[in-house]
Amino acid sequence: MTKVLEVVDISKYYIHKTGWLPGKKICALEPISFSLERGETLAIMGETGSGKSTIAKLIAGAEVPSQGDIFLNGQRLDPHNYRQRCQHIRMIFQDALRSLNPETSVGAQLAEPLHFNTDWDQEKKTSHVVETLRKVGLLPDHYNFYPHMLSSGQQQRVCIARAIILEPQIIVADEAFVALDPSIRAQIINLMLDLQQDMGISFIFVTHSAEIVKHIADKILIMHHGRLIEFGTTEALIKNPQQELTKNLLHAESKHNVLTHSTIQE
Amino acid sequence: MNILDIRNLSIEIETSNGPVRVIDKLSLQLAEGEIHTLIGESGSGKSLLAKAILGFINPRWKITADRLWWRQYDLLALSRAQRRQITGRDMAMIFQNPGTYLDPNSTVGEQLRESIPSHDLPGNILTRRKQIQKRAEELMHRVGIKDHDAILESYPFELSDGVAQKISIAMAIAHRPKLLIADEPTTAMEPNMRSQIYRLLAKLSAGDGMSILMITQDLTAVIPESKRISLVYCGQLMETGPTEDVMREPVQPYTGAMLSTSLFSSETKPKSRLPTLTGAIPTLQHMPIGCRLGPRCPNARRACIEQPPLRSYKKHEFACHYPLIEVDSHD
Ligand SMILES: Nc1ncnc2c1ncn2[C@@H]1O[C@H](COP(=O)(O)OP(=O)(O)OP(=O)(O)O)[C@@H](O)[C@H]1O
Ligand SMILES: Nc1ncnc2c1ncn2[C@@H]1O[C@H](COP(=O)(O)OP(=O)(O)O)[C@@H](O)[C@H]1O
Ligand code: SF4
Ligand SMILES: [Mg+2]
Ligand SMILES: [Mg+2]
Repeated sequence: MTKVLEVVDISKYYIHKTGWLPGKKICALEPISFSLERGETLAIMGETGSGKSTIAKLIAGAEVPSQGDIFLNGQRLDPHNYRQRCQHIRMIFQDALRSLNPETSVGAQLAEPLHFNTDWDQEKKTSHVVETLRKVGLLPDHYNFYPHMLSSGQQQRVCIARAIILEPQIIVADEAFVALDPSIRAQIINLMLDLQQDMGISFIFVTHSAEIVKHIADKILIMHHGRLIEFGTTEALIKNPQQELTKNLLHAESKHNVLTHSTIQE
Repeated sequence: MNILDIRNLSIEIETSNGPVRVIDKLSLQLAEGEIHTLIGESGSGKSLLAKAILGFINPRWKITADRLWWRQYDLLALSRAQRRQITGRDMAMIFQNPGTYLDPNSTVGEQLRESIPSHDLPGNILTRRKQIQKRAEELMHRVGIKDHDAILESYPFELSDGVAQKISIAMAIAHRPKLLIADEPTTAMEPNMRSQIYRLLAKLSAGDGMSILMITQDLTAVIPESKRISLVYCGQLMETGPTEDVMREPVQPYTGAMLSTSLFSSETKPKSRLPTLTGAIPTLQHMPIGCRLGPRCPNARRACIEQPPLRSYKKHEFACHYPLIEVDSHD
């Protein structure tokens, strides 16, 4: 298998400046390394403030690492060349509505990346947008809709459509499922699984939900205070966690829930 | 004995498409000391039901019910002032974002002490103040906060979500309410904090005989201490009954869908497509007629354009023309 993504010793420091005092250096992420293969799904878990979103943003190019390198198919990504990266790595956020432009129609928002990254004519762009809408379970009619006219699940679909329209190799999703209603969340998970199968996309996602992780992740990365404390296959981390935190994160939900109680699960 | 008894409650709100029943003939009973979980996706009217119970209602809403009783009081027959008095004495509520209703300008201690009723305390001002301080510390312990001195001195923005929620619980139970309504108290919280809050609520109910109406989006948030659950969809009651019975043997298609879509089943194969309802939750302006699950329901047929009556099966009650299990109808 080929490594789509290789992360080598990336780290992130923030300088907190208070008044005229010299800034205090805050380490959001200590140097970490890992890699991901084509079509693979990586889950990032950890407590609040442990650096999950920082990793997501560094990979997607929304932040520049303080140190370290990221390689895509063996080629080093220039941290300042956002255009180069955004064709291949796309990000989806938790708050779908806020990450869409309220004043632009769905179709126009989806066509935008095509203006910058292709030399297609208008007709070809439109048909590609319509095709992408269909892929995420929306209709051609939605081309002329504005974000506020859509339900939260449909808004998240538009975000996914925008993420896949350039046929990227990697999608990064930061808590993209939490705000969704259960029936819609399952629809979106199914959609991600389908897209992954059809397009061979690799998928990196941040979540608190052990159940989603167990269902879709191939590998899990556990963060604690800006440090990677455990990394391995989903199976290995479930069966044989090396860290107490890993065990906690992967079993937390079931601890206090009737659905997993023995009386119910015959 | 039911302490709260709601039968066929409807709330009608004016929309751009005319009046809509946001809550449509909903029934709910809560016994003393019981935890009852109300489950519904967004827009199902959960928060509105909470408001109707507490009496925080917009005078323009049209509210009707066969019965809306709290203990011996017929709430719909009371004046606003009388209702406010009963709510203030007997009921309390906690919300999804405790940060948004704690006052950012005063310390946790000031706010907590203010929520402690002082009129029935004996003694003069000085001894009262001591008793209030003692009660505040006691409340902090009850909600599982040990370093009470530091927390009482801090301002709300200095607290993590979990601690802020614990404070809001302490404030809510300060006057020893008989009913606590918890409206999605842990949505967007991390799982560890989530189970801490739920355990705490369960303990409070067991210790004080407080009844709790737990409101959530998600079947995965139902705790073992919640002996009864109700599922609502777009303001209509789908199924209600003892938690174990409903979960083991769901009768209503919505319950079935919610159960199979929540990833807890041991049979779910990794990366398999999850069973779920198709389509989207309708907006208020476009509510389906009859059974509102209709457009998304796998069992729907023509009869579903009539709202099904509440029927019983063993210990549950459900509303459906074509249930998942064959049910003798003797009505
Ligand atoms: N722009 C920033 N400026 C300063 N500090 C930051 C910034 N972004 C993140 N941090 C800090 O870096 C650390 C890691 O933050 P990060 O957002 O990655 O956490 P997280 O694991 O995503 O947490 P959560 O579960 O709450 O989303 C935190 O201590 C945070 O306060
Ligand atoms: N004050 C209000 N005026 C008009 N519509 C409202 C009002 N409050 C709630 N609604 C509508 O009623 C429906 C149910 O709301 P709510 O009880 O908040 O749902 P839930 O808490 O189950 O998500 C929603 O469609 C919502 O938009
Ligand atoms: S009444 Fe009809 S639409 Fe409603 S749940 Fe039953 S079968 Fe489905
Ligand atoms: Mg984050
Ligand atoms: Mg609500």
